[in-house]
Amino acid sequence: MTEIFGVPTQALFGQLLLGLINGSFYALLSLGLAVIFGMLNIINFTHGAQYMMGAFGAYLVGQYFGIGYWPSLIVAPLLVGLTGVIIERTMLKRLYHLDHLYGLLFTFGVALIIQGYFRYYYGSSGLPYPIPPSLAGGTRLTLFDQPIMFLPWYRAWVIFFSLAICITTWYLIERTSLGAKLRAATENPTIVRTFGVNVPLLITLTYGAGVGLAGLAGVLAAPIYQVSPLMGADLINVVFAVVVIGGMGSILGSVVTGFVLGLIEGLTKVFYPEASTTVVFVIMAIVLLVRPAGLFGKAATTTTGVESTSVGSGLDGGRVLNVVMAAMAVVLMAAPFVVYPQFLMKALCIAMFALSVNLLLGYAGLLSFGHAMFLGSAGYVSAHAAKVWGLTPELAILAGTATAAAMGVVVGAIAIRRQGIYFAMTTLAFAQMVYFLALQVPFTHGEDGIQAVPRGKMFGFIDLNNQLSMYYVVLAIFMFALLMVHRIIHSPFGEVLKSIRENEARAISLGYKTDRYKLMAFVLSTTICGLGGATKAIVFQLASLTDVTSGTSGEAVLMTLVGGLGTLLGPIVGAFVITGMETYLAEWGQWVTVIQGVVFVVCVMAFRRGLVGEIAYRTGKPL
Amino acid sequence: MSQGEVILEARDLVKDFAGFLAVNHASFKVKRGTIHALIGPNGAGKTTLFNLLTKFLTPTQGQILFKGEDITALPPAEVARRGLVRSFQISAVFPHLSVLDNVRVALQRQRGGSFDFWRSRKVLEVYHDRAMQLIADVGLTQYANQPAVSLAYGRKRALELATTLALEPELMLLDEPMAGMAHEDIERIQELIRTASKGRTVLMVEHNLNVVASLSDTITVLTRGQILTEGDYKTVSANADVQQAYMGVGHG
Ligand SMILES: Nc1ncnc2c1ncn2[C@@H]1O[C@H](COP(=O)(O)OP(=O)(O)OP(=O)(O)O)[C@@H](O)[C@H]1O
Ligand SMILES: [Mg+2]
Repeated sequence: MTEIFGVPTQALFGQLLLGLINGSFYALLSLGLAVIFGMLNIINFTHGAQYMMGAFGAYLVGQYFGIGYWPSLIVAPLLVGLTGVIIERTMLKRLYHLDHLYGLLFTFGVALIIQGYFRYYYGSSGLPYPIPPSLAGGTRLTLFDQPIMFLPWYRAWVIFFSLAICITTWYLIERTSLGAKLRAATENPTIVRTFGVNVPLLITLTYGAGVGLAGLAGVLAAPIYQVSPLMGADLINVVFAVVVIGGMGSILGSVVTGFVLGLIEGLTKVFYPEASTTVVFVIMAIVLLVRPAGLFGKAATTTTGVESTSVGSGLDGGRVLNVVMAAMAVVLMAAPFVVYPQFLMKALCIAMFALSVNLLLGYAGLLSFGHAMFLGSAGYVSAHAAKVWGLTPELAILAGTATAAAMGVVVGAIAIRRQGIYFAMTTLAFAQMVYFLALQVPFTHGEDGIQAVPRGKMFGFIDLNNQLSMYYVVLAIFMFALLMVHRIIHSPFGEVLKSIRENEARAISLGYKTDRYKLMAFVLSTTICGLGGATKAIVFQLASLTDVTSGTSGEAVLMTLVGGLGTLLGPIVGAFVITGMETYLAEWGQWVTVIQGVVFVVCVMAFRRGLVGEIAYRTGKPL
Repeated sequence: MSQGEVILEARDLVKDFAGFLAVNHASFKVKRGTIHALIGPNGAGKTTLFNLLTKFLTPTQGQILFKGEDITALPPAEVARRGLVRSFQISAVFPHLSVLDNVRVALQRQRGGSFDFWRSRKVLEVYHDRAMQLIADVGLTQYANQPAVSLAYGRKRALELATTLALEPELMLLDEPMAGMAHEDIERIQELIRTASKGRTVLMVEHNLNVVASLSDTITVLTRGQILTEGDYKTVSANADVQQAYMGVGHG
């Protein structure tokens, strides 16, 4: 058998082929994202779900109408595109006048609904979809009479067809008059409108087309991967990293980056398999350090006219808030005699998580979509410290919290170099990197997590195995976190932070080095987040993979939104509502995800102040 | 520190936006203690020039000297800290902060960095009287506790001016401070700029030529990124090129 660099050629070319296949899907999906982003300025978080719908579309029309692969290749993307058009027309278009972050949150909610719904009906196991008979089999490739690999026809077709679609799309947008119109409409909608172009229609069609591309990728994927409700959720997280690397909105950039990263992944599988799931994220971190705008992205030339996230109110008051906080403390002290303490402790830990997300989003205007990495990592370190190193619980919690703070310094320093959506994407991608690391490094114990963590004795004398003692310790930690956030937002630092949220360019022009304030806020936030995660691991005697998933990050944002962005108490209320739903509606299974998605969508569309925010608004008192 | 000394100098500034030279080899000097107007038709590059001088944009080429020091490589916040403070063409206030908080957050800059997240913001009460004074100067006393977003456009501009003045800048760059203001407001703000210019230097972009004529000591005319001419109002308005370039585009 021949070898290259000590690797059998068969294996090498086999992995390269696999890399190209993956690359084709990365390219197609990030292309769709780029098309949508270019026109709507929205990161379409529903993209993975829409890819999955494409695959299911092909499967279902086959099952019910006997429609085969080739017609499906047209029918399914059209159907998926149509659902996109409906979503855009009925809901998404009402969000364009708001900060773009709302568009991101909206599409995230829609993804939850779709994925939850499909999981309810089809479970999470995969359904097989046959390769079309015309593309069955393959050929043995040879080079200088040496066999190098077996090439299945279907895989060759996927690569060829994806390339063709990418090139056609690029040509349409960059080289035709339709594309010129599109680009002009993005840059100056009012003027283009006066030329008689129907801009809203153009936007709708663009969204439909971008979504259709996701559907098309889904059909292509059906015969290769199994058709399953979560096939998109897994893939899209890597695609987001691809988008961050390539630079957002660049058509060519997304295509090239997609294919190249697929290949690099394939090569890594040959030469250093342990790193194959993380290599994309490592590249991302390096690229962000060197070129914050991504490889093909335009550097942010101007910081003027930065939009403020018009959330929350900063006007003074205070006394009512203090009374409410005191009342809440009293109620929480009595609560374990009425409500199951295990639930209360979970809600309190999660509330610290939500508080930390809101400190950033509500008071600094920074949407972190990856905060689960701090929650989960703090949990792992705290659990490991208590179980393996045998530290006392207070030291274990301290160790976990310090870990989150240190990670905050690193991630924050890189992420705050970008604003708005870019910031959110960067944090999300880092969280994915941490997720894959947690899946692989030995001390986290992969899927099992760190189990049977001893609670121990706090300060040597408070026995935490007593449920009530544990509860009051958690309550004390929670109150500490709450008072800390309260002080931060009512400090001189908090005032500067709010001004940055409102208008960063103006804050700079007043002489504030806004990056430093944002970094400080970021680290404070991750510290509080870590405190919550570290405590949670001790309470539940478990540190698990769930706590580092992007779904968990999304939940914290949901809680903040439900309770009220930029209110002190909102995230706490949100945490109790959402945790309560998860605990008490657990037997509803996947419907809980669907309900969460609906809550997300409703909050973004019609209830942006949230529960506490609404009360604060009605009474004119900051809460 | 005598009047007449050069406080700001731009040397051969260029800003290239992907092949389009928005500022095209512009050199000029601003003298301390003067009110210096920068005029020119729409799209001439005035705002871009302001962005370069305050480092909100990085010049493609050229040098900026402020008080004799080269500030070309400094970040924008540092430029502001050295006393060169700008306002924005599109009103730049902190919309959901009250008028009072808007001004106070500027006054707070005197503390240096405000990284003390552990301290109560009550320490900022020392700035209350000064903030109210500045608010009174621009005629916004009755709105002090309203969120800035609720103010009429002209009043937002006035608030922005109060915020800029709070920093006691040595050199103030004002980008169309009167745009969108009602007639009576224009007079008040004009007076305010005149008063505020005592002991400091003002460089402003303004389309209202009456204001320019009555306020400024020196006028620089910019067209297509290049400096066309410079002088006092009489000289400049008599210049045929200026009349053609400026009036021809339809500004009154
Ligand atoms: N970030 C940018 N990228 C590309 N071109 C730009 C950018 N900013 C400004 N321009 C272009 O540079 C030119 C000068 O713009 P600028 O805003 O400086 O003009 P101005 O003199 O301030 O005009 P106005 O009187 O309308 O305010 C314009 O043609 C504008 O389109
Ligand atoms: Mg301008």
